[in-house]
Amino acid sequence: MALENHITKAVNVLRSRICDPKFIFSNDSPDSNYSKLKFMISSSVTEACNNSILLLGPRGSGKNAVLELVIQDLLQQYPDSISVIRLNGLLHSDDISAFKEMARQLCMEHQLLFSKAASFDDNSQFMVAMLKECGLAHKTVIFVLDEFDLFAKGKQRLLYSLLDAMQSITSQAVVLGISCRLDADQLLEKRVRSRFSHRKLLFLPPSMEDSQSLLVRMLTLPIDSSFPHDYAVEFNKNVRVSFLLRFKETLNKYLNIDSSVKDLLRFLFCAVSHMDLQTGFLSRENFEVAFSSIQRHPKLEFLRTDCSELELYILVCMKSLELKEQSLCNFNSVMKEYKSVHDSFQTSRNACLRAFEHLIHRELICFTDNRGQSLSVEFRPVKLLISPAELHQGIGANNSCPVS
Amino acid sequence: MDKDKTPQLPRRMTRSSTSSSVSTSNHVVAAEVNSLEPLTVNDLLVVGDPISLDDIISSFPGRSSQIREIMRLLGPLNSPMLPLFVYGGPSTGKTSIILQLFRHLNRPLVYSSCRTCYNHGILFESILNQLLLHRKNAANGYSNAKRCERPSDFVNFLREALTNVVNNLKKSENSISNKMTTKGKIGNMIYLVFDNFQLVREWEKSSTILPLLFNLYDMLKMPEVGLIFISNTSPDTFYSNMGYVEPVPVYFPDYTEGDIRQILLRNQLNQKLYSSFLDVALHSFFRITSQVGQLSATLKPLYEKYCEPLSDKGKGVAHNSEMNLRLSTHIKPHISSALNEIFKISSLASTEAKTCKEEKLKGKSRRSEQSEELGSLDFHMSTCAKYLLISAFLASRNPATLDASLFDSRGGSDNRKRKRKPSEKALERKETLEEELLMKGPGTFPLERLLAIFQCLVSVAEDSSDDDEQNNNALGVQSGNGSLMSDILLQLSSLCNANFIFKGRSCPIEGSTRYRSTISEDLALKVARSLKFPLSKYLYRS
Repeated sequence: MALENHITKAVNVLRSRICDPKFIFSNDSPDSNYSKLKFMISSSVTEACNNSILLLGPRGSGKNAVLELVIQDLLQQYPDSISVIRLNGLLHSDDISAFKEMARQLCMEHQLLFSKAASFDDNSQFMVAMLKECGLAHKTVIFVLDEFDLFAKGKQRLLYSLLDAMQSITSQAVVLGISCRLDADQLLEKRVRSRFSHRKLLFLPPSMEDSQSLLVRMLTLPIDSSFPHDYAVEFNKNVRVSFLLRFKETLNKYLNIDSSVKDLLRFLFCAVSHMDLQTGFLSRENFEVAFSSIQRHPKLEFLRTDCSELELYILVCMKSLELKEQSLCNFNSVMKEYKSVHDSFQTSRNACLRAFEHLIHRELICFTDNRGQSLSVEFRPVKLLISPAELHQGIGANNSCPVS
Repeated sequence: MDKDKTPQLPRRMTRSSTSSSVSTSNHVVAAEVNSLEPLTVNDLLVVGDPISLDDIISSFPGRSSQIREIMRLLGPLNSPMLPLFVYGGPSTGKTSIILQLFRHLNRPLVYSSCRTCYNHGILFESILNQLLLHRKNAANGYSNAKRCERPSDFVNFLREALTNVVNNLKKSENSISNKMTTKGKIGNMIYLVFDNFQLVREWEKSSTILPLLFNLYDMLKMPEVGLIFISNTSPDTFYSNMGYVEPVPVYFPDYTEGDIRQILLRNQLNQKLYSSFLDVALHSFFRITSQVGQLSATLKPLYEKYCEPLSDKGKGVAHNSEMNLRLSTHIKPHISSALNEIFKISSLASTEAKTCKEEKLKGKSRRSEQSEELGSLDFHMSTCAKYLLISAFLASRNPATLDASLFDSRGGSDNRKRKRKPSEKALERKETLEEELLMKGPGTFPLERLLAIFQCLVSVAEDSSDDDEQNNNALGVQSGNGSLMSDILLQLSSLCNANFIFKGRSCPIEGSTRYRSTISEDLALKVARSLKFPLSKYLYRS
C-alpha cells in the first residue's frame, strides 16, 4: 500500500512537471533566450524607453513559456512599475474586441470601472490616454500579442494605433509579438513597419543533446523527504543508466520526426502514463509503446482494420481508374470498373453506394467539387486521398482481404 | 432573471477586485432561489452506481486495450494531463466508454456534444451553463447563465468559471480528506469533453473556432483542466494552416467479426439459436459493413424470419445439427435479398423502420418475380405532381433535340428510330454517350421545355384514358388553360423543395433558371407505373 502510494505520487509529480511549462524552461544559461529577453525588457523598464520585440519560432518551442517566466521575474523585481496586457490573435483579431479587451485589462490593472458599452473610439482613446498617464507615472505597459500574425490581417489598425501611441516621448511601453510565422514582420503594412523596432528573438527546437538532458532532468525525482530515499535513488539511477543504454534509440527515432519541446513532452507524457504501477520504474517498453501510440497512420489503420472487403474493392477500382488516366471518376464509373474486375457481381448497387459513402465519410476519398447539392452522390466526381503505396501497404496488411 | 442576476453580480465584482476565494454559498443561494434542489459540483459527475473497471471491460467486448490506454492517460487522482484526441468510426464505443470511465473514476466532467450544440455560441453557452451550475427554468426565463458569442468573452468567462470550480473542489477535498479514503474523492481535476468534434469543421466560423479549441489548453494555462476531443475522423483531417500542438491520439478501431458476434449475442434470449443464426448470416454481412448499428438493424428482421419455422412447433424443440441445416436452408434466399437492402434504413431498429423494411423486401421480391402489380410508392403525391416529376425526368434524360420526334407524332417516330440499323459509328457514339451520361448525370433544362413536355404527356394521358373520365377529372388540369400555369408552378416549387427537382441558379448566358431532375430511374419507373404511364416508350435509349 505504501509502495503503491508513492509510485502514484511519483507519476503525479512527473505528469505535473510535463504539464507545467515553467519547470521545463527554467534554466538560465547566459545566452539563452530567457536571459536575452529578460535583459531587453528590464532595460526598457529601467531606462523608461519604448521597445518592440518579435518572438518567432515553430509551435511548441516555448516562446510563451519563456516570456511568462520573464514577466513573472520582472513583476517580482519591479512590482509597481509594470502592468501586463495580454491579447491573443485567435480571440482578439478584430479591432473592436481587441480594444475592448485591452481597456478591460487596463481597468482591472488600475482599479478603474470598466464600461462594457464603451465604443471602439472610446476604447482607443482610453488606451492612448492610459499610455500617456502610465508614461508620466513611469510605469511600463507590456503588451503581449500572441499569434501576432493574426493581428496583421486586415487594416492593422490596432497595431498602428498602438505603435503610433508609443512614438510620443512620454509613453513607456513594450510590445511583444509572438508568432510561429517566421516572416511575421513582413506581413506588416509600411506605416506599421516603420514604427516597429525590428528586434527578433528566434526560438529553435533544442538540439539532440539538449533534449536528452532535458529528458533526464524531467524524469529525475527529487531526493528529499517526499519520497522514500531508496525508491527515489533507485528510480533516478534506473532512468540515468537505462536511458543511456536503451531509451536513447527510441528517443532519437522520435526526435527525427518531431523535435520541438512540446512534441517531446507529448512523447514523455505517453511514456510516463504507460509506466507500470507495480514495479514503479520506467522501462524501455513504455517508450516504445508511447512511440507507436503517438506515431499514428490513420489512413493505414483504417485500411488495415476498419475497411470492409467491399470498400477495399472500391478503392482498388478507383486506383485502377486513376492508372488508366481517366481524369474524372464518379460512383458510376467506379461501379463499371468494379463490374469488370469482379466477375461474380452480386452485391447490389445500394450496398455499394453506402460503402462508397462510408469511404467519403472516413475521408479516404472526397468530392473534387464542393458545390454540393446540384447532383446526387452518384454523379459527383471524386478523387482518392490516399497514395497508391499506402493503398498497397494497407491491402497487404488487411486481415479480411481476399487473396488475389 | 433579476433574482438570478443579483447574487451573481457581487461575485463578479469580488473576482475582479480581489482574487480572494469565492464562497460556495453564493452559488448555492443563486441556485436555490430558482430550483428545488441546488446544483452542486457533484452534479458534474456522471450519474449512476459506482462501476468497477472490470465491469466496464467486460461490457465492452474487444475494447480492453483502449479502455486501459485511456485509463492510463487519465492517470491517477489529481494528476494533470495533456489534451486527448479519441477517434474511430461511428458506433465503436468512444463516447460511452469515456462516460463509463468517468463514472468509474468519479471525477467531474463537462460533456458537450457538437451535434446538439450546433454552433459555437451554443457550445460556449452550454459549457458555461454546466460549469456555473446553472439550470434553465421558468424563473430565469430559460436563459443561459452568460450570454457569449465572441471567443474572447468565452475564454474570459471560462477561465473565471473554471478557477471557481477548481477552488471549490480543492476546498471540499481539503475538508473531507481526513474523513474519507481515496476512493470517495473526486479530486480537483475537471475535464471538458467535446463529442462529435468532426462537425465543428462544417461550422460557419470553423477557421477560427477549430484552432481556438485546439489551443484552449495552452490558452487557459490551467493544469487542473483536462480536455478530451471525440471525433469520427482522424486527427489528420483537422489540419489547417494555423497549426497547433497536436493532442495525444487514441484510436478506436472497428470491431472484428468475433467482437461483433459477441456484441450481438449479448441480450439474446436463446443464445444457442442466435449463434447458429450468426454462423449462417454474419459473414456475408460483415463483408459489406462492420458497423454494429447497421448490422443489428438488418439482422433483427432476418432473425425473426429465421425463427419462423420454429415457432410452429413451439420453442421446446431440441436443438440439433439437422435442425440447423433446415433453418439455414430456409434463411439462405432471404440473406441475399437482405444484403441488397442492407443500407436502406437508418441504423436505428425502431419497429416502424422494421415494418417499412419488410414492405420493401416484399416489393423487391415482387419486382423480381416480374408480376404485374404496381411497385408500391411509399409516399403520396398528387397526379399532377407525378406527371410533372416524370416530365422532369424525361427532360433530364432525353436530349433536347429529340423532343420533337418523341412527342409530336405519338409513338410513330420512335418506332421508326428503333428500326434504324445500328451502324458501327452509331454504336461507338452510343458508348460515348452512355459514358457521358454516367459521368455527368442528368442534364439540365429550362422551365419552358419542362412545361412543353408536361403538356404533351398530359394530353397523351387524356387520350389514352378517354374512357376513364374519372381519372381525367382527378387530374384536374386542362391543357391550354391559362389558370393551370400558376397551379403547376406551385407544384413545381414544392417538388423543388422536396428535392426531387433541383433548381439551379440562373444561367449567366441564357438568363433563365435551369432545372435538373434528381430522381433515379427506379423511382421514375415506379411513379410511371402508378399512373399506368408508358414511360419506357418515351425514354431515349441512344
